[in-house]
Amino acid sequence: MPNVYLRRTNRRRWLAFVTACALLVAGQLWLHLDSRQAFTGVWAGLAWLWDNFMPDQAAWHDLPTIAYQLWRTVVIAIAATSTAAIVAVGLGLAGATTTGRVRWLRGGVRLFASVMRNFPFVAWALILLFSFKQNDFTGFLALFLMTIGYLTRAFIETLEEVGGGAIEALEATGARYWPIVIQGVLPAAIGGLLSWVLYMIENNIRDATLVGMLTGTGIGFTFDLYFKSFRYPSAGLVVVALIITTIVIELLATHLRQVLTH
Amino acid sequence: MLTITGLNKTYPNHKRGLKDVTLTFTPGVTAIIGPSGAGKTTLLRSINRLITPESGTVVLGDQEIRTANAKALRRVRRQIGMIFQDYNLIEELAAIDNVLHGCLGAKSWLAGILGRYTAAEQERALRLLSEVGLADFATQRCADLSGGQKQRVGIARALMQEPQVILCDEPIASLDPASTQAVMTLLTDLAKRGLMIIVNLHQVDIARDYADHIVGVNHGQIVFDGPTSALDEVALAKIYHKEAVVTDA
Amino acid sequence: MTQAPQPPVRPLRPAQRATRGLLLTLAVISIYAGLTMQTDHLDWGVAVTSFWHNLQLMIAHPHLGQDTWPALWQAFTNTIALALLTTLLGAVIAFFLALATARPFAPRLLALAMRSLMAVIRAIPTILWVLVYATVIGLGNEAAVVGLTFHSVAYLTKAFAEAMETVPPAKLAALRATGCGFWLTVRHALWPEVRASLLSWTFIRFEINFTNAVAVGAAAGTGGIGYNLFMASAFNFDFQEVGLIVYLLLAFAIGLELIAIRMRRHLAH
Repeated sequence: MPNVYLRRTNRRRWLAFVTACALLVAGQLWLHLDSRQAFTGVWAGLAWLWDNFMPDQAAWHDLPTIAYQLWRTVVIAIAATSTAAIVAVGLGLAGATTTGRVRWLRGGVRLFASVMRNFPFVAWALILLFSFKQNDFTGFLALFLMTIGYLTRAFIETLEEVGGGAIEALEATGARYWPIVIQGVLPAAIGGLLSWVLYMIENNIRDATLVGMLTGTGIGFTFDLYFKSFRYPSAGLVVVALIITTIVIELLATHLRQVLTH
Repeated sequence: MLTITGLNKTYPNHKRGLKDVTLTFTPGVTAIIGPSGAGKTTLLRSINRLITPESGTVVLGDQEIRTANAKALRRVRRQIGMIFQDYNLIEELAAIDNVLHGCLGAKSWLAGILGRYTAAEQERALRLLSEVGLADFATQRCADLSGGQKQRVGIARALMQEPQVILCDEPIASLDPASTQAVMTLLTDLAKRGLMIIVNLHQVDIARDYADHIVGVNHGQIVFDGPTSALDEVALAKIYHKEAVVTDA
Repeated sequence: MTQAPQPPVRPLRPAQRATRGLLLTLAVISIYAGLTMQTDHLDWGVAVTSFWHNLQLMIAHPHLGQDTWPALWQAFTNTIALALLTTLLGAVIAFFLALATARPFAPRLLALAMRSLMAVIRAIPTILWVLVYATVIGLGNEAAVVGLTFHSVAYLTKAFAEAMETVPPAKLAALRATGCGFWLTVRHALWPEVRASLLSWTFIRFEINFTNAVAVGAAAGTGGIGYNLFMASAFNFDFQEVGLIVYLLLAFAIGLELIAIRMRRHLAH
């Protein structure tokens, strides 16, 4: 008896494989990509990086500036994420099926979160720059707006993990809404919520460079300045500082997440 | 005294509903038995209005519950403790915190939000925990307790309310035999102190062993209501009779 | 009863201590940031009014502006192709690198070296790679492809390796025991176990790469819809055109999100 199942899965496998290859080729053609140039460029780029970005004596003189800007960037990223988290807790409570009492509000919150999550942050950065000019607050606002959507969605899921049953049990004792939320739901969910906050802080510090370039603030602006004025060794020092900061924050966040959720 | 009259509840799929249920509960252990989907849980949850029936009345003391406003409902719910098959504790919190939750409803809104419990309340919570045999586990996280221990925390939480009635929704369905015995003995002891214990059960033999009074439910109707001694084979056949389908129009 | 029971002394669990410490730290840093935030040349009233006005222009009155539909479409598809290509390329490379990183396969030292290398590459922002390659091989799609791929590879290698590590070693050993070589084991024991997880990570990366493709277009000028966005906003101050582009991007991204939700449901079965 011919095995229909095997034949069908084989056909599907081939289909997936061929589609993937076709997409790869189509993408290259579409972008008029010179693959050989791109490929050899990889090594050329790394070599160039090594030759030009190595911090030299002059670059070390910029270290205080770089360290200060980096510190400001990290602080702003943390503040923006924390502020967004406070707002997101409120939205999350309104949006979660277990704690959200108003159906249209639940739907509204979810829609809002989805739009904010997918709103191109380049657009935020650019329109904020236009109105709020080039200063710390612009970077803060851009990161804040980028974070709200992500955190709201994540918080909704985390809050829903505190079962409806436990909330129902507290309702059955005659307790009111806010005591239930603050004494019951939030203490149970706090570990998960903070894990997400840590994740977003990590992410936002990574993205802060890009946001900084677009809004002319923080370490991103510092890098842009050095890069555009061909002070490559100083730009290299920025990169080294960024690598160290990001890895330290990543390790710290990973460790804290483990402690928090146990 | 808890009186139910003419209670009706329908669901879209015609299962688990209630049809014109009239009952009077008295202090002691009352077991509600019946096949799955007969409406046991609906009946129990109608009492503290976790489910709102379409018509009929539920009266505890002189308070009607089905149509009570939010404030009156909260007040009457304080007199009705409830324990669940899945315990429904806040697992991340310590046992004592979960017990203290029992008096959230009796506190002012602000004190509830701030979680300010008086020394007397804390003492009472501890005493209740030792009464259910968990004195040494007060500061343990509930997630780390066994099923039987969690259920006893649930009972302590219900007792913290100083209730007249305790509703038990399949309290032993997830427990091993030893824990089952511990929990059921605890419930009968409470009944001896004058509490009204209403318990949904799957197992007829457990109901026979521990209950004073038995209510049999089938297809949303009361088919048996009498003392445990009156539960004979005829009554059981009526309660668990599958063909006795009351035809839905 | 002779003595009332004493309220218990509660030792804090490590998780509780970490929670309190972290909350306090975040609060202190946020307050510090608020107090020291530099707001030079900022007139709050004007800023908020103008921001609100521009937001309204964007949302309520999108228009084409100085671009043309074909040009915008070309740029939009360019960005999508960029995201697609770099994600696929990244996924293929990352799969093989993950084999050298995941604990069940890789020797300890190699795994550690790979892990560190990937962490370093991930720590360097995508935009930096693109800027560097734009300098070396010229401004254009090639620079964007190489730059985006770099970060994708590092990200996916970590994700893939972690997915592979969740496969119980016994399953791999079972196949090895039948005499299968390395690649056969990978193909018949590992692949079926991790396929779903790898696919969903790749999809997540596709969403990230789409965002990044827009961003590098704007910040490095490598082309694509990001560049149009940048020109419309920073050069022409035409927020109505920004609105139109935002709507385009939003539609695509939300479409992707819906597909992702569908896919996750499909994979869950």
